[in-house]
Order: sequence, then C-alpha cells, then structure tokens
Amino acid sequence: MIRLRLAGVALAALLAGCAASPPLRDGLPAAAPRAIALDGTPFFPQEDFQCGPAALATLLVASGVDVTPEALAPEVFIPGRKGSLSLELIGAARRHGRLPYVLATTADEMVAELESGRPVLVLQNLGAGPLPAWHYAVLIGYDAERNVALLRSGSEQRLEMKWQRFAGTWHRGGRFALTTLPPGEIPAHATPARYLEAVAGLEAAGQRQAASAAYDAAIARWPEEPLAWLGRANVALAAGDREVAADAYLRAIELEPGNAAARNNLAELLLGAGCLEESRRQVERAAVLAAGTTLEAAVAESRARIRATRASVSRCALEGRDWPD
Amino acid sequence: MQLDSFRRACVALVSLGIVSLGLQAPAVAGVVSTAEAVAAARGENPRAVVDAAMARADVQGKLAELGVDAAAIEGRLAALSEQEVAKLAAQIESAPAGGDALAVIGIVFVVLIILELVGVIDIFKKA
Repeated sequence: MIRLRLAGVALAALLAGCAASPPLRDGLPAAAPRAIALDGTPFFPQEDFQCGPAALATLLVASGVDVTPEALAPEVFIPGRKGSLSLELIGAARRHGRLPYVLATTADEMVAELESGRPVLVLQNLGAGPLPAWHYAVLIGYDAERNVALLRSGSEQRLEMKWQRFAGTWHRGGRFALTTLPPGEIPAHATPARYLEAVAGLEAAGQRQAASAAYDAAIARWPEEPLAWLGRANVALAAGDREVAADAYLRAIELEPGNAAARNNLAELLLGAGCLEESRRQVERAAVLAAGTTLEAAVAESRARIRATRASVSRCALEGRDWPD
Repeated sequence: MQLDSFRRACVALVSLGIVSLGLQAPAVAGVVSTAEAVAAARGENPRAVVDAAMARADVQGKLAELGVDAAAIEGRLAALSEQEVAKLAAQIESAPAGGDALAVIGIVFVVLIILELVGVIDIFKKA
C-alpha cells in the first residue's frame, strides 16, 4: 500500500512538472530586483481554446495597440488544431505594427524584459509525456522571496505558480518566450543578429514604416552592423527613395566589402535609375562574391536579367557619385 | 533535364497562382530581401525562395483543411517571411498549438480517480 501511495505521489509530482530547476532566488541574476509585478498589464480572460489570442492581446495592448482577443482570433486560431501556433502569433503581432521578438531560452532574458516593463508571452506544457497540454500564458512578474512566478493565465487574472513548476512547464513547452515592442525599442539583451532577424520579419510582412524605424534604432545602437544598413536600404528602395537607399548600400559595402546582397541590390537600384553601365559592373562583382554561397542563385538571376537589358536613351539618375570597386 | 523543366513549370505555375492571389511578392524585382540576407549570413536554406513559393500554396491548403476561414488565410500568410512560411509548412500539423489546457487536466483527473477507485493508487483518501 505504501509503495502504491508513493507511486501515486511520484505520478502527481511528474504531472506537476517538478523538474530539477533551482528555486528562483538561486537562479536570479545578481543585479535583478527581488520582485517584479507588472500589475498594470491588461487582462483578457480566455474563452474556449483561445489562450493564444488572449495572451497576444495582453501583450499588444500592453505595448500600446488597441485590440481584443476576439479581433485576433481570426488571425491566429486554427480550429482543426484547437489552438494557435507560435509562428502565427508572431505574424499577427506584425500585422498590428509591433515588433515580435523571440527571447533566448534562458530565464535571464525574461527577467530583463520584465525589468524593462514588458510582459512576456510563454508557451507552457501543462501536461506530461504522451499527454501534452499546450498553453499560452503571460508572465507579468515574480517574487524571489516567495519563490513564485506571476502570470495572466486562462481565466486567472493573477496566477501565482511555484517557480520550479513554472520553469518546468516552460521547459517542456520548448522554452518559447516572446515580447512585442513598439518599433524603435530594442529588447534589453538583444544581439544585432537576433534583433535584425526580427526586424527583417516585420519588413517581410509589409510593415515598411515600422521596419524603417526599427532599422534606424539598430543603426543608432550598432552603427557598424552591415545588415542594419542593408535593411534601411531595402526599405528605402521599396519606398522609392533611391538616394537614401544608395547611401545605405554604400555604407553596408564599406563595412563589409564581401556583402553580396548589398552589391546585388545596389546593381538593381542602378538598373532602376537608368545607370546600366554601372549596374552591370556591380552585378559582376556581386556574382563573384556570391559564388558558392547561399545567395548564388539569386544573384545569378539578377545578373542574367541585367545583362539582357538593352541600353536605354534615358540618362543615369544618379550621376556624380562614386561607386565602390 | 526533363525533371528540371518539369520543376520549373511547377514553380512558374505556383508562382503565377500566388501572384494572382495578391500574396506577398518582392517589393522590387531581383532585390535580395533583408530576411534572405539574414538567413544567408547564417548559411541557411539556399533554395529558400523557390521552396517558399511551393510552401505558401501548401500551407494555404492545409490551413483551409484545418478549418481556417479562406478569406483570412491570405492575410495570415502575408505576415510571414518566406523562411517562416517554409517552416510553417513543415510544422503545421505537429508544432505545439497552445489552446485550452483544462480539457487535458480534466482527463488526468479522471484517470487518477479511476486508478483510485480500482485501488491501484491511494492518493485521495485521508490518512
């Protein structure tokens, strides 16, 4: 009987997700506050299966967007899956002009975001093993002394969950954590590569103005980062602003002479401006740089098209500039 | 050679379908998008654009099968980069879909009660 009782307790412990993570006070970065509670975070009690829209609305409204879970449901919910996928939460955040940023898989970044006043959307697995139960909640704070995580979750406005249980469910959920930022704000622990990947996604979603503000912020923070300049140039070119785009491509090439994408796009810009001769020269350089890289096919396509273009009578609209060798 | 031209024909057909649906197309023809450049900097997926054209049509069909309103699908996919659509195509049926945890917790509770009733476990009784 005792053995069976132990088995029951072990099963309950397993279901409760008691992974081997330490109490919060042992894992908290030394400089972090002992307790945070973003009590001003809005709360949307979830309807059936709608924790995705509810959690995303919580984040978006906290970052200044006027939206409801009901409005978000048609943008993220998949009836056949009775839930929402994280990639689609990311897409929906972009549609509402916010920059979705996936945090690293350590709790430190979540703590840093909370410190910056931004709640964090997390994916939890509340089940175990063959019975997973995927659930989105919003982390709004923690208390190291009482060893709890504070969550907006389901129909609970302020759910206190033992830190180890929270960490365990988050771990089994694949450690997915997301913040959404107004364009121009940069996450506390952002790296250029991860931040620019996030902004490129915003750009791909057609949010040109938001992406432009975010590239400007990246350039202000990391002025030596060629991809930030490439991003600014691509957005400007798409908006028809050739002068700004040309300057930014030149800067990207100056910072990284081997950047085939910047060369290729500069060639496309020159082609559009009627500067065929210079366009041909630049695309040849791009083709050499791209040889053997993942951009080889894309550049080859540009090169073929530019080579096939006949000289037109129109004049080059970008005379009087020095182009890179 | 034949396969190559078949593949090209497929891509052209799918691309045409996508363009006619008004889905995301490169803002300026021939420009390497920032998302592509970011992926390239990490040495990822060389055929991203070609594959994504197919992936987009693929995801579109799957979302419709899974009950998403046809009118909403276009806008949902337009919010994703080519690389992300390819990822979605691969994961749409398997990736975790955060929904309602209560149903599963309910099942676990019922299982525990059954185990308790048939005497396998003994966690609900008072000492």
